[in-house]
Amino acid sequence: MVRLSAAFLLALSFAVAGCGDSNGKNTPQGAQKAKEAVKSKGTIGYSALTLTNPFFKVIADNMKFEAEKHGYDLIVVSAERDVKTQADQVNEFIVKGVAAIVLNPCDPQSIGPAIAKANKAGIPVFTNDLKYDGNEGEVVCHVGTENYNGGRLAGEAMVKLLSGTGGKVAIIHFPQAESCQLRVKGFLEIVNAHNTRSQGDKIEIVATLDGGGARDEGFKAAKDAIEAHPDLAAIFAINDPSGLGARSALESVSKQDQVTIIAFDGQLIGKQAIRDGKILCDPIQFPDRIGRSTVEQILKHFNGDEVPREILIPSELYYKADADKDPELNETGIDKKL
Amino acid sequence: MSSNLRTQLINTPFIRDYGMIFVLLVLAGLFSVLTIKQQHPTGEAAGRQVADFIISRKGHQARVLIVTRNTGDDLAFAEGVATSLKHLGATVLDNVNGTASDAKRAIDVILASGGEIDAIAANDVTAKWPVYDRYPEVGSGKCIVPSSYAWPDFLKISNLLGVANQTAIYAMIAIGMTMVIITGGIDLSVGSLVALSSVCTAIMIRDGCGGVEAGIGVVIVAALAGVCICALAGAFNGFMITAFQVPPFIVTLSMMMMASGLSYRLSSGRSIPELPTSFFWVGRGRAAGIPNPILLMFFLYIVAHIVMSRTVFGRYVYAIGGNADAARLSGVPVKRILMWVYTICGALAGLGGIVLTSQLSAGDPKFGLMYELEVIAAVVVGGTSLMGGRGKIFGTLIGAFIIAVIKNGMNLKDVDPFNQKIVLGAVLMLAVLFDTLKRRNSRE
Repeated sequence: MVRLSAAFLLALSFAVAGCGDSNGKNTPQGAQKAKEAVKSKGTIGYSALTLTNPFFKVIADNMKFEAEKHGYDLIVVSAERDVKTQADQVNEFIVKGVAAIVLNPCDPQSIGPAIAKANKAGIPVFTNDLKYDGNEGEVVCHVGTENYNGGRLAGEAMVKLLSGTGGKVAIIHFPQAESCQLRVKGFLEIVNAHNTRSQGDKIEIVATLDGGGARDEGFKAAKDAIEAHPDLAAIFAINDPSGLGARSALESVSKQDQVTIIAFDGQLIGKQAIRDGKILCDPIQFPDRIGRSTVEQILKHFNGDEVPREILIPSELYYKADADKDPELNETGIDKKL
Repeated sequence: MSSNLRTQLINTPFIRDYGMIFVLLVLAGLFSVLTIKQQHPTGEAAGRQVADFIISRKGHQARVLIVTRNTGDDLAFAEGVATSLKHLGATVLDNVNGTASDAKRAIDVILASGGEIDAIAANDVTAKWPVYDRYPEVGSGKCIVPSSYAWPDFLKISNLLGVANQTAIYAMIAIGMTMVIITGGIDLSVGSLVALSSVCTAIMIRDGCGGVEAGIGVVIVAALAGVCICALAGAFNGFMITAFQVPPFIVTLSMMMMASGLSYRLSSGRSIPELPTSFFWVGRGRAAGIPNPILLMFFLYIVAHIVMSRTVFGRYVYAIGGNADAARLSGVPVKRILMWVYTICGALAGLGGIVLTSQLSAGDPKFGLMYELEVIAAVVVGGTSLMGGRGKIFGTLIGAFIIAVIKNGMNLKDVDPFNQKIVLGAVLMLAVLFDTLKRRNSRE
């Protein structure tokens, strides 16, 4: 047993050292360390909401690219939607002495004490995509999508789709996220405006279900919606994973031609689905721009320039016609991404 | 002879029960070595050192700009530089305590009035700001910083306290889980009970006691009520298990779903931040420099250790796990003891919820996600057998710390989050393997 535990510890130390290596930092000590001391301007710590949704991976990759271009390192950790994990990660960033912290707050309120703690240690905090809503601690700048306008775009696409016929619509929601609440609010505003002036082609919202923003839960929610309302005409899903889950649900009951899906995000998987006609259209977000802009604001902040409190990147509608000419989607492009 | 000696050593009670403490120490040593890094001091002594550097390099007539951030350590550093420089006869042009844009404004003012800057007294962070390079007549080459020294990130006091503080909640809940597992049961509902007590307490304070203005008395009552609700949920678990012989796995799985659903329902899925500052004392206050959750954790462990090793109740818990039928026939009140064990487990989960709410300053139905697995992992790594009848309370504390140290060490080493999960899974697997081997050893 003693031998076994020794072997285990040895294996663990290799695993840790090895993983450090693969990130290409810190481990080749000595020579590189001396160089690093001159070269690296500091480290930026990023705690993502979750890395199981590719959207945040794109933000992370673009932040890393932009940061390294300007001589900063980026550490990426994933809070997996747990606010305590995220608070612990912020604590570790402070111990490491990072230059700046970027968060996708797991909760718009409860992350406050962690932000205040970073402030107290003199580390500026930035958020992107998801916004911090509390009043404890200070966020220098938030970079996100114009979710409310994006929701309005989705609403306009829905009105265009169903004008003249009307029909029943289900919303696959993720109410915990403020960003998704804004999307649905914008969507409903346009749909309600249509209904007040419509003549017999009313769009009826028959169900608003929680799809968790994920494929499996979106599948279940859509399946329930179609069971309860067999004559459903369309679905609005607040992101691509739950939209694709809804599509699988429709295919499983052979209703994919009857029910049209409008989703949100414009992730690669979503764009492919739009090209293949599985989703009608997306108001797309630009996670690459969100990531790069976040790092730009950090650099500006260190450069002594004034940084705006909030930067919102507008969303655009993306149809099959856009997908057909999207260079990201031609065969080689996909191979490269995958 | 020597192998005989080794067998004897392994079989001494201390090594058998607390052998994992050596694993913990080796892990701590390993991460100390792996996280050695150049540390950059700040504070008054570092400030005096920088003042000496400036005088020796730029002479006694040096005109110096001090740039620090607005934090306690940085202000002490700036103070140290300023008094030391004045004492040595140099000129302090300005003392900036803030952000890069504050530094920019100060430099603008100095240059506009025709002043010159010979040196910038900065620390490691402010010296890296690119703002100085905007001015050809300044440049970051003029920054003078304190000399650095090598020390592991892992062994910084702030990190060690941080690790203990992060673990405290899991470790508290793990006390109850250890008792449950020693009886041969399991409690999957603890994570949801964390959320339930958090939400219930926050709602009681918000709606019944005036929210932010609530007095300390009613806050304590609300917190106790939150713990009691969870204790009742635990008692209900115990009742279903003892009265109807429903397997603990199923009963607590149902409770996990019901409690989670209830907390989402009560809070409409949102967090509840309307809490008075007096409530934050439990989770964020300190006594003698040590965060309260750590002290609370140690207190609970000492009490639990005494209960489990020195009282009749503790003996009964082990007896039930060893062989419930034998225990019943020799007069152990099995049902009553099981009821108590599940009630205690629920109450401790509720207490964990209170501490977490206090730490994160809001009640939230999303709290406690997957905690049951974290806690069970701590118990198993700590050497408690899932088959029941064996295990030590302090073993669980060590188990919780082993997991926390591995997580912390990997984070400090920038190990990829996906790889971290693989490592943690492997650790759990090995812990169960140890348990099985130990069991076989002792049978032989």
